[in-house]
Amino acid sequence: MIYLPIAEMPVAVLLIFLVSGTVGFVSGLVGVGGGFIMTPALLFLGVPAPVAVATGASQIAATSFSGIMTQTRRRSVDWRMGLLLSLGGVLGSSAGVALFERLLRLGQLDLLVSILYLLLLSSVGFLMVRESYRFWRGHPQKSVSVLRRPLKTVAHTLPFRLRFPRSGLYISVLPPLGIGFTIGAISAIMGIGGGFILIPAMIYLLRMPTNVVIGTSQFQVLVISSLIVVLQSIATQTVDLVLALLLMAGGVVGAQIGARVGAGIKAEYVRGILGALLMAASIKFLFDLVIPPAELYVLGGGLM
Amino acid sequence: MRRLLIALSLALLVGAPASAQQQPGSDVADDLPAAVAEEQITVSSTYGGSYITVFGVNPDRRGRGDIVVVLRGPNEPATVMRKRRVPDGNFPFGLWINGDPVQFSEAPAFFAVLSSRPLREIASADSIWRYQLDPAASARLASAVPSGGDPSAYRAALVRLRAEQGLYQWYRRPPREGERGGLTAYPGGLFRAVVRLPANAPIAQYHADTYLFRDGRLISRQRIPITIARIGVERTIHDLATNVSWLYGVVTVMLALLAGWGAAVMFRRP
Repeated sequence: MIYLPIAEMPVAVLLIFLVSGTVGFVSGLVGVGGGFIMTPALLFLGVPAPVAVATGASQIAATSFSGIMTQTRRRSVDWRMGLLLSLGGVLGSSAGVALFERLLRLGQLDLLVSILYLLLLSSVGFLMVRESYRFWRGHPQKSVSVLRRPLKTVAHTLPFRLRFPRSGLYISVLPPLGIGFTIGAISAIMGIGGGFILIPAMIYLLRMPTNVVIGTSQFQVLVISSLIVVLQSIATQTVDLVLALLLMAGGVVGAQIGARVGAGIKAEYVRGILGALLMAASIKFLFDLVIPPAELYVLGGGLM
Repeated sequence: MRRLLIALSLALLVGAPASAQQQPGSDVADDLPAAVAEEQITVSSTYGGSYITVFGVNPDRRGRGDIVVVLRGPNEPATVMRKRRVPDGNFPFGLWINGDPVQFSEAPAFFAVLSSRPLREIASADSIWRYQLDPAASARLASAVPSGGDPSAYRAALVRLRAEQGLYQWYRRPPREGERGGLTAYPGGLFRAVVRLPANAPIAQYHADTYLFRDGRLISRQRIPITIARIGVERTIHDLATNVSWLYGVVTVMLALLAGWGAAVMFRRP
């Protein structure tokens, strides 16, 4: 057992290692960030929602930095696009942290987090299960690299266009800023990196080539999650350093092991199982919202 | 065992500082001989809750009256909200959200009251309210209660929710064999009160108040401060997080980058 100085509660070290390691393992296996599994897992362990969301961001920073180290060696980061997305993200996460603090004081943070997780987990879970089912039926979806991308999107018609040599694009700066803003705000409130929303947006909306998408998205996630850690430390003082270290250690090691194991098995089946689990978790969020509560009164408002 | 206890408590009494603090609005003597076994409780990284022991002697030579011990945490503002269904009415599908907040300007963050028999048999209802021997008596409403709401329901909910978290406790009888926590009276007027302090109890300045009641009236009392404080790494981290929060955030990010870098190097494929 170790006492968390900010959460002001004792936790079992092995249990946290087990949870963060498992989340890391799954994220390495399936190739997702893992923030959207880690935060609900921490809530389930009894960590207060503000601490779980704010502390989770530090673990996301660790994971994305580890990923970037690998990607820069392959020269697969579009720095100009990354900076533009980050600029939008800085504004978005600042707005997100401000909203987070306001809702925390009003006692409505749990509501927003529950609704967002309900939508997120059910939609991501559904997409994963559908993809896995199609693969199982023998109609695998064409991989993203050969997927037909629309030739011209709204990004090509808006003003303030800029050249992105590494991506081979000449598009308006407004859509990257908007995407960055949205992801930043969602990250700050939900404690996720947002890569799985960012990557499709970059491919379909911005028409970026897939070889730079992952590295560039990780760059944006790193900038945003680092900023969120600092902003949450100042605004809500809910970042728990001891919990963060435990999560980083477990998550980073788990992700590497997961990536090794994942190379040998069919990812589509794993995704199917994970998708089903996510949908089950989203049902729990739904039940908590619609079932008449046994206890009508709650303690809340104010920080912690 | 009993002789040891008496010897121990007497030793404590001799060594106890005469820190009787005057409480407002009373002509009651502040001379009840009592002491705590732990005046300072330290919270380190292995902290998982604690016990606080209050020793004392009933000053009445014939042993008349009842001892009541109250351990109080700091008074802090609190908010209680009531869930309501949106949309309300007969619409088949609705969300339960927090609404109708009621603020208490102060409520004890921790409260434990110990007696060897139910408090109502010892003190009058007036005394319980006047000397705040119950957490509900200590909680002060600050904001107006929303229409349709019942102030006493909010007060009761505050007490119930905090009791579920182990922050409000009642010990109404002496501890049984093997139990830890409660007020035990020994022959000769000696008493010992043990309170379980859960790990989620706030880290702050506490007070142990000891009261002697006879025929429903307060005869004598004593107030002893108890400090709960972080030490070592826990203290450093907490001080950094509250005093230089931006630096704390930057340090956390640096450690995250270090961990990410370490993992990338450790697991690099040759």
